[in-house]
Amino acid sequence: MAIWTVCEARGDDFSPTTYELLSQARKVGAEAGMETVAVVVGAEAELADKLTGQAHQVICLKGGNLGIFDAGSWAEALYGTCAEAYPRLILFCDSDRGRELAPAVAANLKYAALVNVTSLEWEDGQFTITRPVCGGKAYATYGAGERGCVAVVRPNSFSIEPGEIASAQVQTVEVDVAPGKVSVEELKPREGRKIPLTEAQVVVCGGRGMKAEKNLSLLEDLAEALGGAVGVSRAVVDAGWADHNDQVGKSGKTVSPGLYIVAGVSGAVHHTMGMDTSKVVVAINTDANATIFRFADYGIVGDALEVLPAITKALRAN
Amino acid sequence: MKIAVLVKEVPDLEAHVEIAAGGKALILEKKRVLNYYDEIAVEAALQVKQSIGSAEIYAVSAGNGTGIEALRRALAMGVDRVIHINDPALEGAGPLVVSQALAGLVKREGFDVVFAGKKSTDDEAGMVGPMVAALLGIACVQGVTALRIDGKDITAKRETERGTETVKASLPVALTAEKGFYTPRVPQVMGIMKAMKAEVPKVSLAEVGVEAVSSPQVRGYNRPKVRLPVKMIEGAASQAASELVRLLREDVKVI
Repeated sequence: MAIWTVCEARGDDFSPTTYELLSQARKVGAEAGMETVAVVVGAEAELADKLTGQAHQVICLKGGNLGIFDAGSWAEALYGTCAEAYPRLILFCDSDRGRELAPAVAANLKYAALVNVTSLEWEDGQFTITRPVCGGKAYATYGAGERGCVAVVRPNSFSIEPGEIASAQVQTVEVDVAPGKVSVEELKPREGRKIPLTEAQVVVCGGRGMKAEKNLSLLEDLAEALGGAVGVSRAVVDAGWADHNDQVGKSGKTVSPGLYIVAGVSGAVHHTMGMDTSKVVVAINTDANATIFRFADYGIVGDALEVLPAITKALRAN
Repeated sequence: MKIAVLVKEVPDLEAHVEIAAGGKALILEKKRVLNYYDEIAVEAALQVKQSIGSAEIYAVSAGNGTGIEALRRALAMGVDRVIHINDPALEGAGPLVVSQALAGLVKREGFDVVFAGKKSTDDEAGMVGPMVAALLGIACVQGVTALRIDGKDITAKRETERGTETVKASLPVALTAEKGFYTPRVPQVMGIMKAMKAEVPKVSLAEVGVEAVSSPQVRGYNRPKVRLPVKMIEGAASQAASELVRLLREDVKVI
């Protein structure tokens, strides 16, 4: 029995979420008496050296149709390999890619699937997995039981620990899979975005209080000073100032960064459901009674257009 | 052409949620609606039907007693017929069992296109659409924002972290609807009246060839983490900003 983590590359390394998952897999694996297995697919196998110390075993899946990410062929390679080993738990990063691979793998292996996972522990002889339900109004902790389970884990849920496993066994498996049934004809890469919004350690988010599209640059300036990403509220997307892909909240993305700075957002449930698990929240609003302050650790009453550049300036000053 | 739409009934976003029985139970206010993303999926099916001239659209939902409201809404919007998979074994069932049920039914009824919402607004998992596709062994495009069907070929647009993708696939195909694909229509009063009176046919899991396996069991419910009361930082913008930066660096050490 083992815990498998499906690794996800980000540039020339694996994503921080990958290392979070491996860290937690080692921790609960030690308690459960299970080994940690890291799986890398296609061209990303070239990065396998980065996983030294991170897992007991590193499995590289290679094959003619496994180059850059393709959901169909990658999922087939993954579930084909899993169907021989039947890992007790398969962990995926909660990313666009994780959300494409996990359902296909779970369906083919007839595994249970839990998504938006915020906690994974070993208790009373089984894995316990926590995730928000009812749009984040409550958290449910599940017992995974004896059956296999796929868990798709929200970024920034676990701390990253140094990998100290002495001798990882690196194994290359040649898999012969068909090309995926969906072909990408064209990809217009996103401009400007370096880190996916959901994986950023710092998110600076603006709402209606930004007043005009041109003022969104104030969010970008602060995000840049903090090495973070920019998000927006639904009002900003509906006004046509920003792309839906940047939307935080119910009909957009759920983020959980270490620091969430939110300016000019009133704090409607549609928004707060998408950011409530952020560690430290700073809210800026002209209305001292705005609901958003109930979801914040620090509050500043003031105009976003004055306060945001003041924070950027203060950060750059020293 | 046959179009299946997978729909889920969810608690209204504003519905009151209470944790009871010492964390062992969840009591939900009975305000239930068709999942927002599934409304978009229903609208997309109606649009496809309109553009190709003729198609049969049926909506399906699975639950132990839940799902009928969602199906009535789909009927009111204009789908041709609905089927409800009703079975006690669907109580607390996870995406695998729900997907097996839906895939079993859709296989029985026939399909060229399967539409589903990108995710539900309660669980936000987005598993069922792609899991049904995997069980049926058909192509799946998740988070579709635009679609063109030419005979057996489809071209779809989707937004991902990588960028805007234009993808191609052949029928049969499963497509999950993202916000921005279509604005769901508001049903007319006549449609609502008709849907209210409509008979919703029911089938059991056994009738769609599914033997339910156990899903992970809930051990307990908790409230979201409670934050300490907000600490307001006073002063003019520049002064408050400096103090904030100091607090973030020295007190909570997040930067």
